[in-house]
Amino acid sequence: MARRSAAERLRLLLAVVPWIVAHDGPTLDEVSRRFDMTEDELLAELDLVFLCGVHPFTPDSLMDVVIEEGRVWIRYADYFERPLRLTPEEGLALVAAGSALADVPGADPNGPVARALAKVAAVLGVEPGEALDIQLGSAPAETLATLREAVASHHQVELDYYTYGRDERSQRVIEPRAVYAAEGAWYVDGFCHRAGADRRFRLDRIASATRLDTTFEAPETVVRGPEAVVPGPVSVFDPDPDDPRVVLDLGPRARWVAEQYPVETADELADGRLRVTLVAGERAWLERLLLRLGPDAEVVAGADDVGAVAARRVLARYQD
Amino acid sequence: MPDRLERLLNLTAALLTASTPLTAAELASRVPGYPDPSANRDAFHRAFERDKSALREMGIPLRVLEVPGTDPPESGYVVRREDYALADPGLDPDEMAALQLALAAVRLDGASGSEALFKLGGATPGGSGGEGWLLAALPTEASLVPLFGAVADRATVRFQYRGEARHVDPHRLSFSRGHWYLDGYDHDRAADRQFRLDRIDGEVVAAEPGGFDRPSRSPDRAVSPWELGGDPPVEARLAVDASQAEWALAALPDGSLVARHPDGSVEVAVSVSNRDGFRSFVLGFLDHAVVLEPPELRDAMVDWLSAMSR
Repeated sequence: MARRSAAERLRLLLAVVPWIVAHDGPTLDEVSRRFDMTEDELLAELDLVFLCGVHPFTPDSLMDVVIEEGRVWIRYADYFERPLRLTPEEGLALVAAGSALADVPGADPNGPVARALAKVAAVLGVEPGEALDIQLGSAPAETLATLREAVASHHQVELDYYTYGRDERSQRVIEPRAVYAAEGAWYVDGFCHRAGADRRFRLDRIASATRLDTTFEAPETVVRGPEAVVPGPVSVFDPDPDDPRVVLDLGPRARWVAEQYPVETADELADGRLRVTLVAGERAWLERLLLRLGPDAEVVAGADDVGAVAARRVLARYQD
Repeated sequence: MPDRLERLLNLTAALLTASTPLTAAELASRVPGYPDPSANRDAFHRAFERDKSALREMGIPLRVLEVPGTDPPESGYVVRREDYALADPGLDPDEMAALQLALAAVRLDGASGSEALFKLGGATPGGSGGEGWLLAALPTEASLVPLFGAVADRATVRFQYRGEARHVDPHRLSFSRGHWYLDGYDHDRAADRQFRLDRIDGEVVAAEPGGFDRPSRSPDRAVSPWELGGDPPVEARLAVDASQAEWALAALPDGSLVARHPDGSVEVAVSVSNRDGFRSFVLGFLDHAVVLEPPELRDAMVDWLSAMSR
């Protein structure tokens, strides 16, 4: 236990005392492990509880702490028989975590997470899914299960993958290191044998994932635990300063582009249009954007005839 | 001199057991460890103020009420046990372990779940940490915690949104496509509205709890781009190449498949009531999809592409 302030120690005691009160002589070992303290730290806090109570602080108005043969009892503390209610922040952390886990594709809708969530939400006065709804992103449950299992057992996986930005299907063998949801989609990170480097793949663009018999050695740098795999808020959009930029004038019906994509600049024009600079990323991405916008966007710089060339290519399918 | 933790614990006990609100002077005499108010009024005041804010910060519902029978009226302090106590959710051990796993697997930036876990009885010793992997990291917004509190309390809120003051009954928070949203009833516009939390500026101010009844949520489903456009519905048929067939079928409602050809390409049918949305959906497949029927939709696509290809 790191050194805690008086307020932090109070917060902890107001949870520990009710738990001991509610149980018939739990062991010091169990209490300290439940509340993330060493036994010595717990004993020091209990020494203090022993001195506390209510006016006039006669023996019968103090809390009574009995420690015998490694077990602990607290009596005369009926005012601390229940823990302090959850703060909005704590309630949010619980409900958000539970709702998110319940949204993982393939999660059991009647499993312990869903049941726990319903009970906690009821205490908070909300209904799961009614007051807070979390959608991590869609992914085929089978692909997710295969990849999570392969991450845990260090098995290589063969992917049939669609690279959206290049409009290309490929088979590749990867060594999956982490599977996670971020910014509305599911991803797997791992070493890709075809690229000879680490790559990130979106689960909803994996047509199939097959676990191979070959295992791989887990890189030592992988630390398991909440802090390990994804340090900090994940940013899956990480533009390269050398990526080409495209400048577009957006009409009223195309202004959503500035909200949907991270634009580097946005300037209102006198004619009511919005001039934006976007990282163009890969060609197929830009083609889709321009084809969808059609006359609602005008290319000012950076994309020349990308839209026209793409339009001719699609049009050719209608002339077969 | 007892340490501050002892004083805070005794103060909490005194407030929880008070049958009538206690004045600051009464608390000074009932809780050991304060500077004597008659000898050093300022020092007592500072210590007492500091303790009050410590209790409030950790969520202890400290009430300030007028002490009955005082004239001129004096303020007194009390904590009502029904406000203070966490109702027992009655979690079974497997449910407790599941919550523990959820908190380990999902991180909400800026909101720690460990205090919540302690209040529910602490970590289950030997409980499974699951695979120990972080499965999802959710971003946070400054307005998220106060809005969640207001949703739970059914308290009307005021905030600034895109430079305008809003006055909203907050019904529901949702996280979707990487953003947090609030659904609620906008009093100024007299209509239900959705707000994106990252566009709320400044503070969220909540009124008293219980200010409205939360409407039950209509079972909504994701709206597909070709729906709800107000165009007269027509059945459209689309050919999709083998390379894109799985994604087309995944995006379309069950039963859309009309035919699967030997080369793996598919023919699908979908009811279109938003023609612009349908065009965008089809163009997402680039040159791997072609509108077959009806002629008016096929012609509209050809016109759109012809105009662009010049």
